[in-house]
Amino acid sequence: MLSKVCSFIIIAFILAISISDVSFAESASINSEKIGNIPQDERKSPDAWAKIFDSVHGFIETAYGPKFLGDKLTQKNDYNLLEQRLQLKVAYRPQKPAWLASWNPEFFYKGDLLSDEYKEILRYQTREGYGLVSPLSWMDAKLGRQILTWGTGDYLFINDVFPKDYESFFIGRDDEYLKAPSDAGKFSIYSQLVSVDVVVIPFFTPDVSIRGDRLSFYDNFLGRIAGKESSWIFTEPAVQFENTEIATRLYRNLGEYETAIYAFKGFFNQPVGIKNESAKEVFYPKLAVFGASIRGPAPSVGGIASGEIGYSDSLQDRSGENRLIENSGMKYLLGYERDFPKDWRIGMQYFVEQMLNFDEFKANSQPGDIPRDEFRQLLTFRITKLFWLQTLEASLFSFYSPTDSDAYIRPRLAWQANDRWKLTVGANIFFGKHDWTEFDQLEGNDNFYIRLRYSF
Amino acid sequence: MKKILAVSIIVFLLFVSGFWTKNVCAQDTQSGKTAMSDMLLAYYYPQTDAKSEISMRIVNRQGQVRERRLTMLRLNQTPGGDQSYYIYFHEPADVKGMSFLVLKHLGRDDDRWMYLPAIDLVKRIATSDKRTSFAGSDFTYEDVSGRALDEDAHELIGEEDLNIYHCLVVKSTPKRPDEAGFSYRKFWIDKATHLPLKVEHYNIKGKLYKVYETQDIQTLQDTPTITKATMKDLAGERYTEITMKEVSYNVGITSDIFQERLLRRPPRQWIGD
Repeated sequence: MLSKVCSFIIIAFILAISISDVSFAESASINSEKIGNIPQDERKSPDAWAKIFDSVHGFIETAYGPKFLGDKLTQKNDYNLLEQRLQLKVAYRPQKPAWLASWNPEFFYKGDLLSDEYKEILRYQTREGYGLVSPLSWMDAKLGRQILTWGTGDYLFINDVFPKDYESFFIGRDDEYLKAPSDAGKFSIYSQLVSVDVVVIPFFTPDVSIRGDRLSFYDNFLGRIAGKESSWIFTEPAVQFENTEIATRLYRNLGEYETAIYAFKGFFNQPVGIKNESAKEVFYPKLAVFGASIRGPAPSVGGIASGEIGYSDSLQDRSGENRLIENSGMKYLLGYERDFPKDWRIGMQYFVEQMLNFDEFKANSQPGDIPRDEFRQLLTFRITKLFWLQTLEASLFSFYSPTDSDAYIRPRLAWQANDRWKLTVGANIFFGKHDWTEFDQLEGNDNFYIRLRYSF
Repeated sequence: MKKILAVSIIVFLLFVSGFWTKNVCAQDTQSGKTAMSDMLLAYYYPQTDAKSEISMRIVNRQGQVRERRLTMLRLNQTPGGDQSYYIYFHEPADVKGMSFLVLKHLGRDDDRWMYLPAIDLVKRIATSDKRTSFAGSDFTYEDVSGRALDEDAHELIGEEDLNIYHCLVVKSTPKRPDEAGFSYRKFWIDKATHLPLKVEHYNIKGKLYKVYETQDIQTLQDTPTITKATMKDLAGERYTEITMKEVSYNVGITSDIFQERLLRRPPRQWIGD
């Protein structure tokens, strides 16, 4: 009931703003002819409230994602996305006191009010809320809730160990929501020789797991595709000093090539450890990752090539003998992207995930365990074309795994009708042979989605 | 003997005609080249560094307007040579905070990065095609950052007055027209300031398809500066109007700032809010 009321309010707000925008647009076009290019500041009201209001930006969005046919396993059978969202963001850069001003401070806040009709809840989430200062000319410190990204992959991550929200990704929310925020401190030191980022994450944040309520998946406790009846118990690492995660990156440019090395100690973001099989209790095992990446122009053919490698050290199962905990592994990624005339762009990636101690894995596997390959291969292909002076973007992203024999395609059309309105339509389609593979397990969740966004 | 003579005459004629055609295709006159070189320096390289606040109005056939507001920082690494650019978008709302870092190199592809603040992503962008529209406008990346002098042959074809300005008219023909995507451009270059007042772009078939026009020139910090210009797409019946709201030269931009940090931490002392 509450969510209905709220979504009604949000829709009313959208309509109100859109109507006021129409009149604004008309008057602006008339005005601009007359007054020419008077700086915008002079047009603004000097009212302090107006100034604050001017510094608030964001969007309102409504989204609907009906399922193609799909299974009838999840909470709602006909759709997996139906929601209205209001996002507001504001930045504040204090000029006083003088000692603080000399640190070039910036406070940033971004929050989402989500009326989720799928889950029938109204949720408020702080996506970002941080302070950023430069105590020294060559140092930045960013403290608070923030989105963290590094590495070279396109929708594939090796050394980017920060939390992801795959549920959002698979149901057709904006790409922004693939990244989940971390409560962290990021300390950066810059020099010509090498720059360093150290990220300290005292409060563990896992990936948003697929639990069956919205997306059906392969439940290895049940040994089949499951939906809302899936009942795992997730145990997160306790908030303790020794559970603080630390991620570091050292990077520098060598000519036109960007190089980086990475190290991480913390936990898997996915619950790849089983604490108690009969109770269906899972946990996030300890993990260390060491890796490196390089990115730059591809010689002679043009375009951008990249390579990334990472060693995942499964600290609670280094021998690989414990079948209840994910083994250590190596991950390799090669990427290539280039543009062509008339706003065409293509990208390709080849990704290999190697399970280490594979013999131990095989020796300790039991009937009913998900079969795995020593080398899992994944190819991705992205093609993008812009039309109408870059206001219409058509894109197709596809994942294909020859070893898992499964695939996932994401076609999308995004039309920027004007500076404020954006209409996006797309689909998430999964294929495969075996219920337990990464993409095929989601086959019952194929959807089509439509999103309408008004930015201000 | 007669045959030999005939053959040698034919060979000679072929040789001469080949030479002659080549000259027509790429007539590089010293005066043309000098005029163009002066123009490039005056237009793309004035002073050592610059900070500009730029507004763009993109008007389509139906008269619908899209607006962009951005701040651009520029630093010349060498006079008339490599340059570094930083571009920060203030408006529209959906791209606010997005920024670009461009290291322009003569003789090879530029290095270009884009930063998307919502996902904290620094993305390297392929730049093989410089004819891509800049921010959805009628200006291409090449229009914004310039073609290298040696990529075209420049011929001074006359002098003409545009309003109060005495102009040199220079025809620039790409040495590799297929790659360039047009057959030639005609520049009207003001003799006094060396700034381009008008540029006509002719497509591969030799038809005029795009016209650049300077609307306003102001002298800022003793530097003649184009503060308003339009690019018209004749076939699309569209145009983009670009206005420099604020231009300051020699604001103290140093080459060490053009790195990843600039994208993740925009330099507020120059770009403001």
